[in-house]
Amino acid sequence: MSVRILRQVGQRLLGLVFVLAAVVTSVFLMMQLVPGDPLVSETGGVTQEQLDRLRALYGLDQSVFDQFTAYVGNLFQGDLGRSFRTQEPVVDIIQQRIWSSLELAGAALLIVMFVGFPLAMFAAAATREGRHRRLEVGFLSVTSVLGATPNYLIATLLAFVFAVQFTLLPVGGSGSFEQLILPALAVAIAPTMSLARIVRLETLDVLSQDYVRTARSQRLPTHMIYLRHVFPNVLTAALTVGGLIFAEVIGGAVIVENVFARPGLGTALVDGVLSNNYPVVQGATLVLAVTVVVVNTAVDITLDVLDPRARTG
Amino acid sequence: MTASALRLSRTGMSAPVLRAFRRAPSGMIGAGVVAAILVVAVLGPIVFGDEAQERDLTNASQGVSREHLLGTDALGRDILARLIVATRLSIGLGLASAALAMVAGILIGVSAALFGGRARVIVLRTIDTMISFPSILVAVFFSVILGRGVTGALIGVAASTAFHIARITSTLAISASRRDYVDAARVLGVRGRPLVVRYVLRNIGEPLTVAASVVVGSSIVTISALSFLGLGPQAPQYDWGTMLTEGVKAIYRTPAAALGPAGAIAISAFAFAFVGEAVARAMNPRLWTAPSGRAARAVATAPAATLVEQAAAAGRARPDERVEVGGKDGPPALEVTDLVISFPSAQGATEVIKGVTFSVGEGEIVGIVGESGSGKTMTALAVAQLVPYPGRVSGSVRLHGRELTDLSRKELDSLLGNDLAVVFQDPMASLNPRLTIGTQLGQAVRVHKGFSRRRARDLAVRSLAEVSIPAGETQLGRYPNEFSGGMRQRAMIAMGVMKEPSLLIADEPTTALDVTIQAQIMDVLHDINARHRTSMILISHDLALVKQNCHRVLVMYAGRIVEDLEADAIRTQAVHPYTKALVGTVPEIGQSRTGPLPDIPGEIPDPADPPPGCPFHPRCPLAVDRCSVERPPLLHRGGGHRAACHVANEGVE
Repeated sequence: MSVRILRQVGQRLLGLVFVLAAVVTSVFLMMQLVPGDPLVSETGGVTQEQLDRLRALYGLDQSVFDQFTAYVGNLFQGDLGRSFRTQEPVVDIIQQRIWSSLELAGAALLIVMFVGFPLAMFAAAATREGRHRRLEVGFLSVTSVLGATPNYLIATLLAFVFAVQFTLLPVGGSGSFEQLILPALAVAIAPTMSLARIVRLETLDVLSQDYVRTARSQRLPTHMIYLRHVFPNVLTAALTVGGLIFAEVIGGAVIVENVFARPGLGTALVDGVLSNNYPVVQGATLVLAVTVVVVNTAVDITLDVLDPRARTG
Repeated sequence: MTASALRLSRTGMSAPVLRAFRRAPSGMIGAGVVAAILVVAVLGPIVFGDEAQERDLTNASQGVSREHLLGTDALGRDILARLIVATRLSIGLGLASAALAMVAGILIGVSAALFGGRARVIVLRTIDTMISFPSILVAVFFSVILGRGVTGALIGVAASTAFHIARITSTLAISASRRDYVDAARVLGVRGRPLVVRYVLRNIGEPLTVAASVVVGSSIVTISALSFLGLGPQAPQYDWGTMLTEGVKAIYRTPAAALGPAGAIAISAFAFAFVGEAVARAMNPRLWTAPSGRAARAVATAPAATLVEQAAAAGRARPDERVEVGGKDGPPALEVTDLVISFPSAQGATEVIKGVTFSVGEGEIVGIVGESGSGKTMTALAVAQLVPYPGRVSGSVRLHGRELTDLSRKELDSLLGNDLAVVFQDPMASLNPRLTIGTQLGQAVRVHKGFSRRRARDLAVRSLAEVSIPAGETQLGRYPNEFSGGMRQRAMIAMGVMKEPSLLIADEPTTALDVTIQAQIMDVLHDINARHRTSMILISHDLALVKQNCHRVLVMYAGRIVEDLEADAIRTQAVHPYTKALVGTVPEIGQSRTGPLPDIPGEIPDPADPPPGCPFHPRCPLAVDRCSVERPPLLHRGGGHRAACHVANEGVE
């Protein structure tokens, strides 16, 4: 590891701090910017006196600056406020729900990687230099149609086919493996297809490189050419879109959880918005946004470290 | 004419662009569906408005029937009528949000180009960060602070999309503003806003049109997602998304209530996506002819295209080209007979190599010279069995008497893997950037000779020493980018030497290197030739280099050998006017020998319309009538000297 790479990583981490600060500020401002009084709709028919007491309880009677410092201070102590509804700490709500979301996003990511990558590499190998035109057209058609299908439609369709028509799989809830299958597929299908398209193009690009011709001139076995010479180059190229794919999966999980009524962060977020339960909305938004930002930074740092040029200088 | 096609013509698209758009069937179908959707959006509420509101509680939550093609909802309203009425809000919101996103995105993106220094960096970073968030999260954020409902959803989706547009715009605008004509305008006194508007926007208009046509579809989808989650239109307003929510709740009893809105969203998403794709394709002239851009490019860059020539249908005059084998001494290492390589083309098949016969003796260094496109590299690739798809190879290639075309894949791997090494032109591109030098050097002997890791390492160190790279042990763990150009080429040669091949093909091994390094690389090759009696083929466009370093020289022109003679004799005994022309302008020893082949008056044959007879006759000072009619055969002149020229071969049998 050279000094240059350490400095680059340092810069990334500094950038991460800035973005996290911006995320925290935006999430804090969410409640401030809500049209009208955040408590009113929740507390219809209460007296002014009761309203004032609630305001004091949630700290809404203080100046914006004081509220902000209090918010950030609490944040560092792991306190995300309390639900307007149940008075339950938001942290507890998130802890109850985050595992279901992680399970869904994780399963979807596994599908994206372990289906998208091989699919793309096989498609690239079969269609390189204009071979198998029909296969290429088929691949492009299928991936573009499935890749453009919104996840909530895929979810609806999967629910209809597997749960309603054939009653093979459950359509709601979470906890069991069966309950994970349909939501994970619904989240994964579109990103899998977009990843497959990108990776196929990258693979074709790598296959046309001179160093692959060098490997072929050495008459190495096919699996060695693909696994040793092509794959590492494709992987780093694909990793550059890894952050975007991850965001697509997280966004997909938020929506699909609502289709299948899985108690996760996505349903917490949407239920929170629909019931004006802003502390929960803030908590869920914060956790999701921070996850995305941290993963993106991790991807960037991985790319920095993997770059062979990082070793020089 | 559809809205998108109109938009195209208004932004000044040329006739061929429109033609290309019309030619794509998916684009035309998409445009037709989009047009139909727009008609429904305009007329739907007028025609079906009342029916959509008609409640019939006795017929609530019914499935598909003749009266209600998609069934009824919980209040007994006809779902199909509601679906048609909802088209206006769904599509309208999508279009409005897309328009808003375009305007905001272009403003943000162009501002990045207008700013310099730190401000630009901050804007660009912000854009990058914003697009890294899931768009649904950004949309939810905005719909919370703006209140649930139509406005919140519209602005929320626009905000999440705008940064994608901003990213595209900033990239385009910054690169456009760096172009010469913008500088020129700046010098002429065009400043600030007018400059951006007039020069930059005009030049980024086309890519942004493509982006816009994609954004419309994605906006409709994301708006519907928000509505589906309950964050869009609030009752009594409804769009496809809210209808889908109700439908999914009732999916067990009346699936049509869910599938109807799902279908509507899907159909419009695909229709707009197809139009977007067709617009993108129409805007990119490279994609007009072939269905697949990449494949088209692959064909275009294949050597065939540079030498397109109608296949001579009426029996190619191929004279008896028997060669006394054994160039230098002993039996030949390589015999190539009647080698023909063709690529499919508009005319059926185009031959880039039109019958090449030669041999390389054991320990002999044979040079192949010719202008680019003469077929020298393709010949070498055929020997190495590396002719790119979809090239077809016919004729015979024998390595140590073994006919390569007769061998199975496995036998080929073993024979070529052990006996043949190829050193390619560009050492930077020809070494894998992600693998260490050690791995790349060792892999062939580990596979083909079954060497252990340790033994391969030891051999690699020795091979590196042989090409004058010291301290091989430490070099093995390094990556190609840590090597200089000369070192990389030596490493390439060391890689070839590892397996002690009997034939080494070096394709322009020194072209990318400076003169001093060139000489060193040639020394290395000579050294190997002397030490291991390795036969070599040295391909170059530099006659002087070939003359100095080879035993024998093959001169190629337009896919054929036109002369074959001893390197030492090339000054004195060359007879072909092409060779003579090359020799005539070779600088004397002591002068720079880095230059490419000299300028010969005239041009290489027009690929589309090759001259009849001798391909060189239009440029030939000695040409006689016969040359433009009859192609001269490659005839033996004795002593291994061959030439293909009517004039020079006068009297030769």
